Amino acid sequence: MANLKYRILLIVGLFAASVWALFPRTVVERVKRDGVFVYDTVRRVPLKRGLDLQGGMHLTLEVDESKQAVVDKSEALDRALKVVRQRIDEFGVSEPVVQKAGNERIIVELPGIDDAERAQDVVQKSAFLEFQITDKTQAFEKVMPRFDEIARNAGLSAASEAKTSGDTTKKVGVTSLLTQQSDSAKDSTGKAVATTGADSGAATPAAVAGGLFSTNVQAGQIPGQYIVPEAAYAAIERALSLPAMQDAMPPGKVMRWGVDSLVSGTQRFFALYVLDSRPIITGDVLTDARPSTDPVEGNVVQFTLNNEGARRFKVETGKHVKDNMAIVLDQRVVTAPVLNSAIGRNGQITLGGGTLQSAQDLALVLRAGALPVPLKVAEVRSIGASLGADSINKGAIALVTAFLLIVVILIGYYRFSGMLAVAALLLFLVYTLAVLAGFNAVLTLPGLAGFVLSIGIAVDANVLIFERIREELDHGKSNRLAIDEGFRHALSAIIDTSATTIFSGMVLYQFGTGPVRGFAVTLIAGLVASLFTALFVSKTFFMIWLSRTRGNQTLSI
Amino acid sequence: MLRIFHNTKYEFVKHWRIAAGITVAFIVAGLVTFGITGGVNYSIEFTGGTLMQVQFKQAPDVAVVRSTLDKAGITGSEIQQFGSATEYTIRARDEKQVEEQAAGAEGISKKIASALDQQFGAGNVTFVRTEAVGPKVGSELRSGALTAMLLASLITLGYLAFRFDWRFGAAAVLSTAHDILVTFAFIKMFDIEVSLTVVAAILTLLGYSANDTIIIFDRVREDLKKRAKGESLSAVLDRAINETLPRSVMTHATTLASTLALLVIAGGVIRPFAWVMAFGVFVATFSSIYVAGPLLIWIESKYPRTTSDSTSRAVNAGNDNSGDTRPRKSERLATR
Repeated sequence: MANLKYRILLIVGLFAASVWALFPRTVVERVKRDGVFVYDTVRRVPLKRGLDLQGGMHLTLEVDESKQAVVDKSEALDRALKVVRQRIDEFGVSEPVVQKAGNERIIVELPGIDDAERAQDVVQKSAFLEFQITDKTQAFEKVMPRFDEIARNAGLSAASEAKTSGDTTKKVGVTSLLTQQSDSAKDSTGKAVATTGADSGAATPAAVAGGLFSTNVQAGQIPGQYIVPEAAYAAIERALSLPAMQDAMPPGKVMRWGVDSLVSGTQRFFALYVLDSRPIITGDVLTDARPSTDPVEGNVVQFTLNNEGARRFKVETGKHVKDNMAIVLDQRVVTAPVLNSAIGRNGQITLGGGTLQSAQDLALVLRAGALPVPLKVAEVRSIGASLGADSINKGAIALVTAFLLIVVILIGYYRFSGMLAVAALLLFLVYTLAVLAGFNAVLTLPGLAGFVLSIGIAVDANVLIFERIREELDHGKSNRLAIDEGFRHALSAIIDTSATTIFSGMVLYQFGTGPVRGFAVTLIAGLVASLFTALFVSKTFFMIWLSRTRGNQTLSI
Repeated sequence: MLRIFHNTKYEFVKHWRIAAGITVAFIVAGLVTFGITGGVNYSIEFTGGTLMQVQFKQAPDVAVVRSTLDKAGITGSEIQQFGSATEYTIRARDEKQVEEQAAGAEGISKKIASALDQQFGAGNVTFVRTEAVGPKVGSELRSGALTAMLLASLITLGYLAFRFDWRFGAAAVLSTAHDILVTFAFIKMFDIEVSLTVVAAILTLLGYSANDTIIIFDRVREDLKKRAKGESLSAVLDRAINETLPRSVMTHATTLASTLALLVIAGGVIRPFAWVMAFGVFVATFSSIYVAGPLLIWIESKYPRTTSDSTSRAVNAGNDNSGDTRPRKSERLATR
């Protein structure tokens, strides 16, 4: 009898522990309040839901080597991981996951994200910031014939030939564009520069030899800025990426495209800048960056430099007063204001027509620092929160339905013993969930399916035992003996059953990704719990019954 | 007490030819559809490509959706209704599109989103689910799934070999392999999309099917100890199958209850998984009776036991035995 007492104590104790493990508790986590993520206390059941159940985004990133091979990928990835992690932390997501997978990839999981595109941008942006003075020596004009020749040799003029007839209108377009769009020039002097720029643009004998560059590229409103119509953009971009072009580049200069295209009438234009290849400073001397709204400039990002950066910035900008300084982000010119005086520790980046959110995001990525290597997306999954909630509902209904069906089958067929089995099954559910909570496992949609399935499999153990008990009773054995024998004979089959399925589950866990791992985990947790409930809990129930009836009554099985 | 299939004396083993005919026909039919339509219907995870589940405000004209996508350069996409009339899935996985995703997996999905937004108006389309998988990840997942299946098979095989003597083990392994093969045929014939979740179902079946066979073989092993003089192996097998029949039926019923609940209620994403499970559970029960048993008899007839060696192992390997390792006379198998 002492034995029975300990058994009951163990079952009740485990049940209490399970309930405690599953009890809704107060945790501090990031939650969304009125569209903003804040830290707050939440009461919830400590079961983690996977992305497919709560909605969110899963990103797999890998090093982009399309432009440049990376020597030590693993090391570069480690550094990138730190940057990505810092960006995500500041981006504000509840319980994000940022981790390295193997030596090749970074996995980012952002639960509850509804603007997937924006999130991806924040993660992926290289955020390499450079400040470069624009060219004012007309270096481009000098090399243009050479450029044309290279383009012609590469057969890259065709795209623009057809457009030559429209050249006059195009020029008009550019001129009007220059007077309208002066936001790249920083202040009143910018206007003056713009007008001169336009004059020289009109004066340039554009279509001399019909070359790709001389036909399509026109000087813009500020020194070192050139305007390219949309029709020729692709051809020119291709031409500029030719290896021969690199040798023909004016010495000490680089060419960069502007971030935005400019629209004038029906035409779209792209800005091409010629810049000093040596940057005054780069983003690594930034100590802080904050978004802000300026009544004149619109949305801006204000930045602060460290001591050394500030000193260098002051000296260099002092040398270039009245020149234009291009602010280049990821090799694209964001803006190129005129320097009115030397700039020291603090500066700002004007975003033209950018939204406050884009200013916030830019400030965020600048603060977190540049990615040491470019990253590309190898895999992305995003699931809307409503679909996730729908999945939970359906999964829960399926679970309850399966459970009820099984209850009907068990009680209908095994009567009293069936009720014992159902009680054991209820304990099984609680134990399994507790194991999942205890191991901090993530519940996914396939995981829910695995859970439903494991109920069916858990019952198998009980069925095996009951059928065996029936047979033993048929052989005329007493209740006590039949129950003993039933459990003893069913034991090996139950262990085999669990073992084979657990092996499959472990393999699945090893090779599966997120959702399928959830399946493997619930399946394994379910099988372990079912071993305990079938072999230990059910037996204890029978022992209680035996001690109550002293085995004299007929066993209803 | 309520009893089903109690004290039955069906002669299962006798009908092995019919059973073999049915399953071979099924497998062949699967192979033929494989030959005709070619390839398995892999999900985006394995092929690479883009899947988008789109919810429209009003039921859209599929032709318009298609032409919109074509105009955006997403040709050859598969557009299917998913659940309600306003919900569709779009799969873009042309070679060209998959290739394009090598540079960045999100490219195609962005194109689809902006094209549909433009056509139907930004507020009228919601993208509830997006999966974009680059070709490299896809091929890795494919080989990962294959490795997983092989590894799980090997482990199950090893376990069976360890638990039974080799004749039982071989019969169990072959019967389990048969189940997987038939399930593949089913997947192919009903054109079920093979995703990681379906692979998970197949691996679960591997365990389930092996265990169904184990339970019957366990009983065969036990009954061999008690067999009367001159009783043939097939008679012992029939007896064991009949004795475990109520259990087989009951377990099948409860597992089926679970899988049917998933199939009917749990929604479209989990449905392929539920189909494969429901079918597989049925096949596992069938094969543990009609395939594993006859195979065992066939193996025993090819490689008869000598009285001294493996009999005792076959009989005593299980831990349900009393610990007596000396084979008694009645336990020995007559050489057939």
